[in-house]
Amino acid sequence: MFQELNRGLPKLPTIRAYREMTPLKRREMREGLLYISPWLIGFFVFTFLPILASLIFSFMNLRITDGITSTPKFVGLDNYAQMVKDPQIWSISGGTRGSLWITLFFGAISLPVGILLPLGIALLMNARSLKGQMVFRSAFYMPYIIPFVAAVFLWGGMLNPESGWINRALISLGVPKESTPNWANDVNWVYPTYVIMGIWGIGNAMLIFLAGLQGVPTDLYDAAKVDGANGWQSFWKVTFPMISPVIFYNLVLGVVFLFQYFLVPLVVNQGTGRPGGATMFFNLYLYKTFFTFQNMSYGATMAWLLFFLILIVTVFLFWSAKYWVYYAGDKRS
Amino acid sequence: MFVKRLVSLLALVVIASLLLAACGGAAQPAPAPAPAATEAPAAVEPVATEAPAATEAPAATEAPAEAPTAAPEATLTAEEQAVIASAAAAEEVKAAEAAGKTPIRWFVGVGTGTSPDQVAIQEEVVKDFNASQDKIQLVLEIVPYDAGRDTLATQIASGAGPDIVGPVGWGGSNAFYGQWLDLTEQIAASGFDVSVFDPALVDSFQTEEGQVGLPFAVFPSAVYFVPEYFDEVGLEYPPQNYGDKYVLDGEEVDWNWDTFTEVAKRLTIDVNGFNATEEGFDPTQIVQVGYSPQWQTHPNYFGVFHAGSDYIVEGKEKGSFSVNLPEGWKEAVQWAYDGMYGEQPFMATGPMSNSPEFGNGNLFNMGKAAMAVTPLWYTCCLADFVNAGLEFQAGVLPTDAAGQVHGRVDADTFRIWKGTKHPAEAFAVLSYLITTGGDKLLPVYGALPAIPEKQDAFFAKKSEQYPFVTPETWEVFKAGLSYPDAPSAEQWMPNWNEAFARGDTLWDLLQNTPPSQLKFDAEWQKYLDDLNVIFNK
Repeated sequence: MFQELNRGLPKLPTIRAYREMTPLKRREMREGLLYISPWLIGFFVFTFLPILASLIFSFMNLRITDGITSTPKFVGLDNYAQMVKDPQIWSISGGTRGSLWITLFFGAISLPVGILLPLGIALLMNARSLKGQMVFRSAFYMPYIIPFVAAVFLWGGMLNPESGWINRALISLGVPKESTPNWANDVNWVYPTYVIMGIWGIGNAMLIFLAGLQGVPTDLYDAAKVDGANGWQSFWKVTFPMISPVIFYNLVLGVVFLFQYFLVPLVVNQGTGRPGGATMFFNLYLYKTFFTFQNMSYGATMAWLLFFLILIVTVFLFWSAKYWVYYAGDKRS
Repeated sequence: MFVKRLVSLLALVVIASLLLAACGGAAQPAPAPAPAATEAPAAVEPVATEAPAATEAPAATEAPAEAPTAAPEATLTAEEQAVIASAAAAEEVKAAEAAGKTPIRWFVGVGTGTSPDQVAIQEEVVKDFNASQDKIQLVLEIVPYDAGRDTLATQIASGAGPDIVGPVGWGGSNAFYGQWLDLTEQIAASGFDVSVFDPALVDSFQTEEGQVGLPFAVFPSAVYFVPEYFDEVGLEYPPQNYGDKYVLDGEEVDWNWDTFTEVAKRLTIDVNGFNATEEGFDPTQIVQVGYSPQWQTHPNYFGVFHAGSDYIVEGKEKGSFSVNLPEGWKEAVQWAYDGMYGEQPFMATGPMSNSPEFGNGNLFNMGKAAMAVTPLWYTCCLADFVNAGLEFQAGVLPTDAAGQVHGRVDADTFRIWKGTKHPAEAFAVLSYLITTGGDKLLPVYGALPAIPEKQDAFFAKKSEQYPFVTPETWEVFKAGLSYPDAPSAEQWMPNWNEAFARGDTLWDLLQNTPPSQLKFDAEWQKYLDDLNVIFNK
């Protein structure tokens, strides 16, 4: 699989190849390196070194508030051993569940919505019979260009249990006031609330799906029609395989996004985990471990766990792609 | 050739500018469209969210301070202001050294002291101190509260910590456990007279690290109540002297938590006018509750008020720490849970408490609670209450079943950093701040002086703010000073920030989850298990 991923990438230059270069080629190469050096230096200083530092921290007992009165020591795999048995991460029982369970549970609700809903809307947007396509496309995409924090505040207002117009609308429809949802403050409603807020940002995924749908050759549909395929068969046998790379792309991005889910609980529930710890997502817990609890080493250890979890899931998705993702002009391997 | 050189030169300039831009960072980063770990700057989440969020009070001793944080300059973040403040202080320290004086840096920003009016008075006190002698130069460093803990942590980590930190409460202090100087030696060497304080208060600063502070600003607790609501249902007011009985249904009974509960139930009224003890009472339509803990909702607070304070950490080092919460603390939290979701509720549930109708957690201020048990600093937050034409008084705290009173005294003070190079001079400043300097500082901090003879002036000022409050009520608060929680309800625990936050999470879960969805015993056990893990991280 990795060979597949590497296919098409340029080979890295070797010292031997450099020596064999003509003076002109060498100069071109030096100039090229000079031009990309700002990025290289920036990457090294602001990305590579922090990554390396976090790896080193994860093997130490560094806590910033310990100050100069204690020297950080290497503790081997202690942090990893502690993390493996940390109920704040792994617990799956009781009212206060572990942050990883919360993240996965929310992902299981949110991911299908985040993929199927934009796909469905894109299919509607792509329908020939739809009048005013441009208006609808703009309308669905427009929320995406609004800053996410502003959107979250907006939703916070709309879903306010007392003053929000959604609950007011429910009351006007005859729902008793005491039965209206308490949205982000209710242990049972908080995840649906977040999913609803997430729908606000599906414009981008919809647009990508739409581009994929418009890339499907119409003659395939004509051929399917001639073969007697109905709408569903046409979708399942033609549309789905043809846009499967786009679905795959959105799926990978969606999974990574969900593992890093952070901003909504931080803004809506002030990063406290309220209600009752139900919004202490893994990435938020990691962030708090670092900056609020100031346990740098444990936070770094959690960051590496997150990295490996995302890596494993992503590798799995890439592995599974050969069974369901179809690239035009390529054979299913 | 010339053109080629010019192009090369320009390329170098572009590279240099890109590098500078990369190192400098944007002044106003554009908001990110999608969340990601690395996109969350530290500034996004103020440390203060731990405390004064919608449903929760400011961490006790930091309470009166946090709300009016210094108005930030329009374009500067809290962190940027902190950097500027620290740089300015460093310059002043250099200047003092050059002038042959001993510089003592006073760090403000982990508690009260950051509002503009407080800043002005603190500057005045610094000026007074510097004018009073010629050996020490006191340098003030005020950092916005939102950046206070991070800034102090960074300074301490780099060995450049300040000499004095404060005002700071137990919570803020415990976030930097192990960093505070034991003052015993300095007290002895300087001959400072600690007898000016109530010995119980001095002892409350005696921890396993030694005498880490001296009393300065104190906030005793009491039962706040609305006499009008008691009159409406024909109940006697809570007693105003410790040891006095309460008269319930014509009979004298002990003023203990059982009596308090019964009174609270009778003061919990539904929309039809029934109280919680009456048939026909509708718990889904409560318009007034009998009791609001008024931000004293951490399990430790409930435990201390009901069953008394105790050391809750066992073990000496990481790996051996374990939690040892008294059984009475569990019963206290269970009592509060039943108070919300029991058959005869007398407290607001989470959804009710957090609604605007109930003041987003500030129930007593909204006139939605007949009683509240909370420290004196709560007199800071009753503007709506007074504007609504309501009046309050204070009664003594209920006793436990054995007749013991378990109070809570929040306390702000100054601490000396263990790494200071000038402990004697730092103590000279500290003793000035908690005595002479306190005359100017305490009124602007809104705090009760720990020195008894200075307390009448404080209450005289409070009486101007609340003219309806009787002298007997102020005496109740004074009497509350005799019941400090030692060790504090905010006592040190390993990994304090996370451990304390776990308690808040438990309360939030209880507040928002009815018994049909929650097993109290299991949640309590989970809380203990989690604390054991957190302690040893």
